[in-house]
Parts: sequence; structure tokens; C-alpha cells
Amino acid sequence: MDTNLIKKTMGFNHLIDINEGWVDRRVFCEQDIYEQELYRIFARSWLFVAHESQIPNAGDFVTTSMGEDGVIVSRQKDGAVKVFLNSCPHRGNKVCFADAGNARRFTCNYHGWAFDSAGSLMGMHEEYCYDPGDIDKSTHGLKQVAHVDNYKGLIFANFDPDARSLEQWLGDFRWYLDILLDNEDGGTELIGGCIKSEINANWKLGVENFIGDAYHAGWTHDSGSRAMNNGEPFPPVDMENSFHASINGHGWEFGLEGMGDLVLLGRPKVIEYYNRIRPDMAKRLGEMRSKIFGSVASASIFPNISFLPGISTFRQWQPKGPWKFELKTWVIVNKAMPDDIKDEVTRGVMQTFGPGGAFEMDDGENWENCTTVNRGVVTRQEKLHYRCGINRKVDDHPVLPGLVYRGQYNDANQRNFYQHWVDMMEAPTANDIPYRWEPKFSGLETRDFAGLNDLKNGGK
Amino acid sequence: MTNGSAQLEAPTLDLIISLQQVLYKEARLMDQERYSEWVEMLAEDLHYFMPGIETRYRRDETDQIGDQTRMAYYNDNLDDLKKRLRRLETGTAWSEDPATRYTHLITNVEVELSDQEDHFRVYSNFLAYRNRNERDQDTLLGNREDLWRRKGSSFELVKRLIVLKQNILLSKNLNVYL
Ligand code: FES
Ligand SMILES: [Fe+2]
Repeated sequence: MDTNLIKKTMGFNHLIDINEGWVDRRVFCEQDIYEQELYRIFARSWLFVAHESQIPNAGDFVTTSMGEDGVIVSRQKDGAVKVFLNSCPHRGNKVCFADAGNARRFTCNYHGWAFDSAGSLMGMHEEYCYDPGDIDKSTHGLKQVAHVDNYKGLIFANFDPDARSLEQWLGDFRWYLDILLDNEDGGTELIGGCIKSEINANWKLGVENFIGDAYHAGWTHDSGSRAMNNGEPFPPVDMENSFHASINGHGWEFGLEGMGDLVLLGRPKVIEYYNRIRPDMAKRLGEMRSKIFGSVASASIFPNISFLPGISTFRQWQPKGPWKFELKTWVIVNKAMPDDIKDEVTRGVMQTFGPGGAFEMDDGENWENCTTVNRGVVTRQEKLHYRCGINRKVDDHPVLPGLVYRGQYNDANQRNFYQHWVDMMEAPTANDIPYRWEPKFSGLETRDFAGLNDLKNGGK
Repeated sequence: MTNGSAQLEAPTLDLIISLQQVLYKEARLMDQERYSEWVEMLAEDLHYFMPGIETRYRRDETDQIGDQTRMAYYNDNLDDLKKRLRRLETGTAWSEDPATRYTHLITNVEVELSDQEDHFRVYSNFLAYRNRNERDQDTLLGNREDLWRRKGSSFELVKRLIVLKQNILLSKNLNVYL
């Protein structure tokens, strides 16, 4: 990447003040800021590109975007995964037009340059037209993304050669991610296919909604809650026993009642299933995490993945300019689940959080209007309020890692998301991004620790 | 989509017209958001299915339409569909107030007898137009394949397969039935 483009100084600190608790609306609408997000955030972050289960066999591929850069994610013969640009080095044409499939070759439609499943240039149509010295095929493959790594089934890639490791990037957020990815033997898989929709809103509005905005649920989703749960409104939250936790811009908001999200899925068989495995989950992950599972909760991985553990929707907010994002929706299930439970979960997700879902329908409308009002140049200068719960920080929680705040109706995770956003926008290199929470579980398998207080015992 | 009906008799003009009228009535009820009346037209054993469609190469053998374990916008039985509709009755479906303006156009209606008595296969195309607030609008287009069952003097919908001709749903939600 051309670092000159990154160094071109704009200054972003003035756009956010998390100590006062406000965000400048220009981050949701200005083209210049958006362009810098592509360079400074998307081209330097570990981005989710696929789940292992989408590409089980050699030659399997999916196409996706990292920021606005199209890439192919391709399973190699040796089981490794390569990620490379979906753009031919000859004149730039796209080389793959499918969302997913299996291919030995990606052949460009324009002049017939052919690339293998590792992205290497194998040959071209009428190759005799090139004289010796015209082209070195070994250096004209599809451009490889600098780093590819995997956390418990989620494959991430990073364009930045100087990036920190994926483990450092996720940090102690791995402890929370295990609730989704490692609550049962065998890990997770995505249900086949992907539902995509297009929303005329800034990508960050989706991410911040899932990272911490439990607050909207009771109001926005009153209709959805009543539809899915026999006329009952959104379950009340217990402000004493619910939390926000934020690490490196990732965040999880959660109750500890264990049931709220499961009930909203509206599938009694799924509740039975989880009730059955919950004792084992408690042994596997510890008491705290088994209570977080299934509670009213939502989470985002910086910058653009979100999910609802328990409801099992898993989604990515792909930026398409400051005014638009594409939402990719999957269903994530445990591999060990019986097929009929997977089917129940899938139906439940699409009834709640698909584009026609009882909850989802009311969200897109809000985000679109939160974005489009900023076409007004006066409107866009009005700062937005993010102070909710600003004094509810819990220092030294014995179990929970991260920047922890009490009460899941809170803007804490959102504030910390925007803090990380500024940190990345300002950082000259990836190594300059400050850790706002020093990792405690470095090099350790987070599954084996019921919480921070377990560290001194070396795990359960 | 299967078609094992080569040897079946041709439907009578009467039958064709009756089923066409049923489709038009359905469209009118949807346009007017008269969902409780629409539900009356649905069978107890309804399967209402609209798969998600990925873009894949011709050689790819993934069964995107027949495989019901894959992601689908709708994969509902009657209870599931009623649950979705319940949202509108709560009075707090904020994004539906002001109301969306709908028009459903139903065309290319083809009726076939099926090998089950009193069950009729009906193919049709739809164009559903939605307009909200000031200039918020979109158009959904696709094919449907239905199974209707004779019920008293009318018919009830037993199966509907909807194939929407979009890869990315080019709108923020799907507050419309097709
Ligand atoms: S652009 Fe790909 S072969 Fe020419
Ligand atoms: Fe929501």
C-alpha cells in the first residue's frame, strides 16, 4: 500500500470525544473521511473473509470484499487458504463473477489470462505474442493479501504487511468470542448460502448498533418482540447484572439471564437444545460465559462483523461509500447440532433477522434516516450524544476482561468503538495503535479460563 | 422446477379463469394490506418459500432452489407467516407508519392439472412495486410456482415457491409478501 496516501494528514481527533461522549456526524457522511477509512481502517484491519465451512474442499472459493477491494478466498490442495485480489494484473478486469463455487482455474474474460487456485499466473491465450523478456509469469499472479489467519473457524485477512498478529488484534476479545465459536465440541459452521441486501446508510451505524445498542431494542423492536413472543414486549433488562465489554474496538453487550435472545428467536426446540447442552457449556467455558450465552446480547468485531449469540445471525456490513452499505447475512450454528435443530435455527433467524424478519425490518429504516439527514450541511454539524452510562465503569471486574461498564443500556461499547476508529485513523502504522486494554490472555487458550480470576490458577 | 404433467389433461377454461381470479384477488388484498383476509386463502399445511439466490457459474451443481436447508428469505409454514404478520397488528411497527404503498402486478398465469386430485399447479410472474415516504421506492420481480387446492367453491394455497431475480436484495427490507 502507498503509505503516502495514509500519511496525508487530515486529523481525526476532533471528530470524537469519548470522555465528553459525543461523535461528530461528519464521520457518517463525508466522502473524504470515507476514503481515509478505506486506507486507514479497511486496508489495515483484520477483516472477516470467510468461515472455514464455506470452503471445505480444495478448489472451493468464495468472493467477498475487503473494504471496497474485491477478493477471492480460495482453499488450496494442502488445506491452506489464500486470499487474493479479484482483479487481473493485465488490464484489471474481474476474474471471478460467482459468489462461491469450486474452480481449478480463474480465467480472465478479457484476454484469457489464466490463474490457478493459488492465484498464480499459469498461462494466457495466444501466449506466443509475448517475446522473451516481455513478462515474468511468476510475478504476475493475482495480488496476494499480506496475511491470512483463522480464529476457531473464522478466516480473517489483512492487507497490511506490518499488521499485528490476528491474536493480538482480537486480544482478550477471544475470551468472549469463544461463547459463540467454541461452546460445544466441533465448533461452528455457516448454513449454506448468504442473503445480501443493500441499505442506504453508513456502515458504522450497523456495527455500533450491534456492538452496544441494547437500548434501541425495547422501542424499535417492540413490534418484533410481540410478534415473536406471544404479544410480550421486549424483556426488561437488569441494569445491575448486565454489562458492556470492549476490547480493541470490538464489543459485546450482554445480560446474564441466559434466555432473552433465545426466546426472541421464537423456536422452543432450540431452547430445549441449549438447555440440554448448557451444563456442559458451563464446564467448558465457566459459569459466567454459559450465562452470557443466550441472554439478551449483541456483539461486533471491529471493524465490520456483528452477531447475536443465541439468535445465531452472523453478518458483515460492507462499506459502499459513506451513504450506503451492503449487508451480508449468514446463520451460524454448532456443527454438532442435529439437522432438525439447525433447520429450526435457520428458520428462526430468517424470521427475525433476515430482510423480511420481524426485527430487521425496523432497523434499516432507522439507519437510512440517521444517514440521509446529514445531506443537510447544517444538520451534519450537530454532534450526536453518546454519554449514556458514562460514569458506570467497572474497574477490576474479577471475571470479565476488557473495558467493562455496568448496565447493558449504555453507550460504552459505542464510545470505545469510535475511540478505536480514531486510534486507527490517526495511527501512522499498525504498531502505533494503542491498546486501551492490555491483553491478559496472550498466548493462552481462552476457552480454558472461566475468567480473569482464573489466570492465577493457570486455568480451570 | 419439475413438470411431470405432459400426459395430464388440459385444464378447462373455467378452471383457468377461476384460478387467475384467485391470484388477482390475492394481489389486491396484499396491495390493501388486508392480511387477515389473505391468510384465509392459505392452507393449514402451507409452505411459503423464497430461497436466497447466489450468483454461481453454470457448471455449479448447487441446488439453490430445491435445497431447503440453504438460506431463504422465506421458508415458512402457516404459523411462521402468521407470526411475521402479527408484527403489523401491534401498532408499534414504526417503519410501517406512514404506510408503504404497494402494487402487485401478476402476469403469465399458467394453470396445470397435477397428479393429485383437486390440486392445481399455477405458474405466474409478479412485479411488486413499493413506495414509502417521499421517494423511497423499489421493484421486485420474479417467478412463482404455486400449488392450489380446491376448497369449497374456491381454492387455498398449499405451496408457493418464489424466485426473486435479485442477487443482492436491492432494498433495505422485505416488508412485502409475493
Ligand atoms: S484484462 Fe485480464 S487478460 Fe487482459
Ligand atoms: Fe435492531
